[in-house]
Amino acid sequence: MSSFAMEWYLIALLMFIGFYCMLVSRSIVRQLVGLEIVSKAAMLALISAGYWSNNLVFAQALLITMIVIEVVVVAAGLALLVKNFRLHGSADIWKLDSLKG
Amino acid sequence: MNDPRLVLFALTALFSIWAVMARSLLTSAIMLALVSVTVSLIFFDYGAPWAGVFELSVCAGLITVLFIGAVSLIRSEEEKHPESRARFYALPLAAAIFAIAGWFYLPPFFAEMAGWARPGTGGGTIGLALWDMRRQDLLGQVLMLAAGVFVIKSVFPRRTEK
Repeated sequence: MSSFAMEWYLIALLMFIGFYCMLVSRSIVRQLVGLEIVSKAAMLALISAGYWSNNLVFAQALLITMIVIEVVVVAAGLALLVKNFRLHGSADIWKLDSLKG
Repeated sequence: MNDPRLVLFALTALFSIWAVMARSLLTSAIMLALVSVTVSLIFFDYGAPWAGVFELSVCAGLITVLFIGAVSLIRSEEEKHPESRARFYALPLAAAIFAIAGWFYLPPFFAEMAGWARPGTGGGTIGLALWDMRRQDLLGQVLMLAAGVFVIKSVFPRRTEK
């Protein structure tokens, strides 16, 4: 088996772990942990694709943009978590129903 | 086959399983930082030092600090009402089933996918790519950061006395 196929197989496994975490957990923090793991898998896929197609410079430029977006998403998610916790005393996604009509 | 890199990939998977299964959210955040560290080592191994440095400083540093700060704010509630652990303990089993089922289908697909690549010239430096060829991206990043600041500002408004 080629190195590329083996690396992408492990990346797929990493992505599965992240999706599983997002699927089974009710805690907002763990949802964000799952999102981070999926995002790490996507970053590895990006750099691996850049490496194997001899385009590592552009892959790195794209990855820096991706890291900035990831930081903003996580910061916004955690800010919403803390705000929700202060208002309702809970970090459970099933209890995020205060806007329900 | 490049063995050190595959070992780092396996360590990343191991730490991410640990991050998902950890009982304490603090342990989970620390394991996530270790995942970032191994991912940045993989970037260095690929020959992508800029990506590795950003990953190490921003993801392993800043995001971990954000996670630990948020977890310490909500820790009392998590200790009072912990989640059911049964579904998390099933993760190694589910990951093993995925790994065994995927072993037959995914590597041949990825091996075929490797043939689709259109090899680039590989020239240039990261400075050229960031400052000359993808300059608009920088504006997008600045706007994205401004959007993040705006979200934080609107979620936590300053209280004014009426």
